[in-house]
Amino acid sequence: MTETLSPAVPSTAQSEAPLLEIRDAAVALKSGNRTMVSGVSLSVMPREVFGIVGESGSGKTLLTRTLLGLQDDAYVAAGSVRFDGRDIPSQGYAASARKLLGHSIGFVPQDPFSSLNPSMKIGKQITEAIHLAKGWPMGAEKTREAAIRLMGEVGIPEPALAFDQYPDQFSGGMRQRIVFAIALSQDPKLLVADEPTTALDAITQRRVIELILDRSRSHGLAVILISHNLELLRQSVGRIAVLYGGQLHTIVDAGDIGTRVVHPYAEALFACIPTREKELADIRSIPGEPVGAGFGLTGCAFSTRCAHAEPICRTAPLPLNERLAPRFSACILGRGA
Amino acid sequence: MAETPLPMVELQGVSKSFARRLFIQNRSFALRGIDITIGRGEVVGILGESGSGKSTVANIVTCLTGYDGGTYRFKGRDIATFTRRERFAFKSDVQIVFQDPYGSLNPRATVRASVMESLLLHRRDLDKAGRMERADLLLEEVGIPASAGDRFPHEFSGGQRQRIAIARAIAVEPELLVCDEPLSSLDVSIQAQILELFVRMIRERALTIVFISHDVNVVRLICDRVYVMNQGAVVESGPARDVLSNPKNEYTARLLDAVY
Ligand SMILES: Nc1ncnc2c1ncn2[C@@H]1O[C@H](COP(=O)(O)OP(=O)(O)OP(=O)(O)O)[C@@H](O)[C@H]1O
Ligand SMILES: Nc1ncnc2c1ncn2[C@@H]1O[C@H](COP(=O)(O)OP(=O)(O)OP(=O)(O)O)[C@@H](O)[C@H]1O
Ligand code: SF4
Ligand SMILES: [Mg+2]
Ligand SMILES: [Mg+2]
Repeated sequence: MTETLSPAVPSTAQSEAPLLEIRDAAVALKSGNRTMVSGVSLSVMPREVFGIVGESGSGKTLLTRTLLGLQDDAYVAAGSVRFDGRDIPSQGYAASARKLLGHSIGFVPQDPFSSLNPSMKIGKQITEAIHLAKGWPMGAEKTREAAIRLMGEVGIPEPALAFDQYPDQFSGGMRQRIVFAIALSQDPKLLVADEPTTALDAITQRRVIELILDRSRSHGLAVILISHNLELLRQSVGRIAVLYGGQLHTIVDAGDIGTRVVHPYAEALFACIPTREKELADIRSIPGEPVGAGFGLTGCAFSTRCAHAEPICRTAPLPLNERLAPRFSACILGRGA
Repeated sequence: MAETPLPMVELQGVSKSFARRLFIQNRSFALRGIDITIGRGEVVGILGESGSGKSTVANIVTCLTGYDGGTYRFKGRDIATFTRRERFAFKSDVQIVFQDPYGSLNPRATVRASVMESLLLHRRDLDKAGRMERADLLLEEVGIPASAGDRFPHEFSGGQRQRIAIARAIAVEPELLVCDEPLSSLDVSIQAQILELFVRMIRERALTIVFISHDVNVVRLICDRVYVMNQGAVVESGPARDVLSNPKNEYTARLLDAVY
């Protein structure tokens, strides 16, 4: 068994500054100025492997793409972002984010295959990414060598041969590795991977996740792994931020899920999942339907389904993680705090 | 586990290939001579990765598609020799629930009408009022309020549509229910709701179920026996708990190791 529980909480010295700080971020759609995600505050340390979990429609993709300046039809409506000691100016946020983050954050989008050019050899796609990051003076031969080395490192067999092939000559898992090679080509400090394995077989999924974790360990790469699979994250990352209905509900140590009292939604979500250890009696569904991002509820979005909900949960503002605490529960009744 | 002399389903050496790009010599094999037996009252899991042939098995067992080689006996009778009457009875004896619950419901019919339609063909003993009453009971049984029966499929969420598809499938009291990844398209919290519905149905109804899934943990929890498929072949079979905790086959072992 390759099981490893919570391996990647870095032993951060107290003094070390966070790599990424997101303060009270809100994201709105340009059309109608509809706020979809709000009140997200979290920090990610250098070398940390951090998870973001949420059901479909909770806002994971919209939040990350907008904060990276990649979502054309949405904008950062509130809050601030600081990366590697630099604030992203809120004026002209998207363009600044692309400029300041583009080279130091590697991004693997959801549905990554659409980011590969089907009519360009993969070697060329990777060398272009290297050129973009490091400039042309590297020289064609050196760049080719760097690309082939990178392809080898992400586990593409016979990289020198693969260099001259086209994306559709590869399986889903191999194409995912090509996308990784492109994201890693600029030697980023942080890799953000949005559902990197949902389309993959279990065996390939495990390999790709291990590839990411290995890379993090060997290169001191910080990672944000976005997934709807809480069990995958629980076994792979150190801390997990939980989104529901466009709100940040908790940031929890992966190892605390299933072993301690945590935020009611984190607890309820975990109770839904048949894991290796569970029996039928351990599985409990959450009644009702998920509330998506942007529903405009006041209070706690989970209050329509929460077993602990009280009237105040529907009216009080959801607490914010103002001090960017590493662990946080937004439960109005203080559960899991 | 009922060990009856006549199994519900017996596939023997069943194979199927799909011709690729019209060239017969370039056949892609979906199934390579598989043997699968499903006893009355059993819940049998079929586990495998994408493309392993699970849906092809489901479609053959429900006669939605044919096969090229081997034999399929249903309750002891070779389906190739079915009479018209047997073929008609088969259609109500065997029902299927698909992964995408939207595709299996008529978008222009109210959900009550969808369930009633299924009764119209196979429960001729019921008059319209009887069918309506039974449809409402079924909807309630799967957790859809009868008062929502006048609504159309698009007015329901994915999980609710899956409940309606299940109500429609069990309406005719089938002997065999084939479920092809009934949870995969649903949100995590809704998957657990539908799983609970299956557990209740298994306890309360005398159903034989083929449960197709790529989720090892779900199969371990609800199935009596399991067949593990890889590339169109059954690589291992046996009691679900044994196979999924002590695999004998190398592929099964690799699959189990990879699962989170
Ligand atoms: N460009 C857009 N225009 C309008 N609505 C959008 C847009 N992008 C996202 N949304 C809506 O915002 C909500 C959050 O979507 P998002 O894609 O961020 O969810 P997610 O958590 O990534 O879900 P999934 O797990 O399905 O990827 C959804 O209701 C979605 O329909
Ligand atoms: N109509 C078809 N035409 C051509 N090939 C097909 C057809 N249906 C299935 N196949 C092929 O047969 C093989 C088995 O497919 P099948 O759909 O049974 O797999 P599966 O196990 O259900 O996969 P999944 O988990 O993706 O649903 C695959 O290689 C598939 O490409
Ligand atoms: S705030 Fe209320 S509704 Fe929300 S999680 Fe806490 S107890 Fe449940
Ligand atoms: Mg997404
Ligand atoms: Mg299938």
